[in-house]
Amino acid sequence: MKTENQAWVRLREHAAAQIAPGFPDRVLRAARAASSPLFIAHFAMCAVTAAACLVAVALYHARASGDEDAQSLAGWGEITSQASDLEQGL
Amino acid sequence: MDESSTTTLGDRVRRAQRGDEVALRELIVSYQHRVAGFAYAITGRSDSVEDLAQMVFVKMARAIPRLKAPEQFEPWLFRLARNTCIDHLRRQKLRRIFIPFAPEHENVPEPSGAVDAEELDALRHALAQLRPKDRALLALVQEGRSHAEIAETFGTSVAAVKARLHRAREQLRQHYQSDEN
Repeated sequence: MKTENQAWVRLREHAAAQIAPGFPDRVLRAARAASSPLFIAHFAMCAVTAAACLVAVALYHARASGDEDAQSLAGWGEITSQASDLEQGL
Repeated sequence: MDESSTTTLGDRVRRAQRGDEVALRELIVSYQHRVAGFAYAITGRSDSVEDLAQMVFVKMARAIPRLKAPEQFEPWLFRLARNTCIDHLRRQKLRRIFIPFAPEHENVPEPSGAVDAEELDALRHALAQLRPKDRALLALVQEGRSHAEIAETFGTSVAAVKARLHRAREQLRQHYQSDEN
């Protein structure tokens, strides 16, 4: 048990040693950059681009499936008229 | 933690909430090593400790104005740290699906000299056998969090925390002892 506790102490010491000097300044710089208008604008730009892509895909899908539906309907119309011609011939 | 230190911490948090960068800096200095230890216990990787600690403190700096109870800063910070570490592990797992590495690259060992003590190595290996959530649980206990605070962090009951903690401790002890032998 004692060695396990010692190991936890070692673990904390080892982890603490991974933090290089100047860490708080780096964090504050990163935090400032993350909340800067430039970052927000960049993020907004990404969001707008993603939304535009989504709209384009949806529009294309709606158009493609509309064309497909029209083609299928035309095909079915033709089959129906052929079937009724056949029926009349019989 | 005595009353005066709680008052000092509360005061520091309130100043940081008002945008005082000196107070924010003081908070980072006070907690950087503890957050690093916590992240290391969960991830087991020395090379990601500083990045993770930075992510935690950047999140803290951005979210601190929204913290409603300044006296709850410590449990709040460790909840943030826990979520950041678990998210990091999840992202890594997801990345492995899209970029599958060869088996020999899966578990890149710690750089030589990174782990200098046998007992630490044994603990690291024992922790690696547990689920990330159990590692977080044990690390929170090591941080001195109460069962009630941990239950709040995990969104569960105190009884469930006690049961999980008992299981996690047992598992850790088994793996730790087998590693030592």
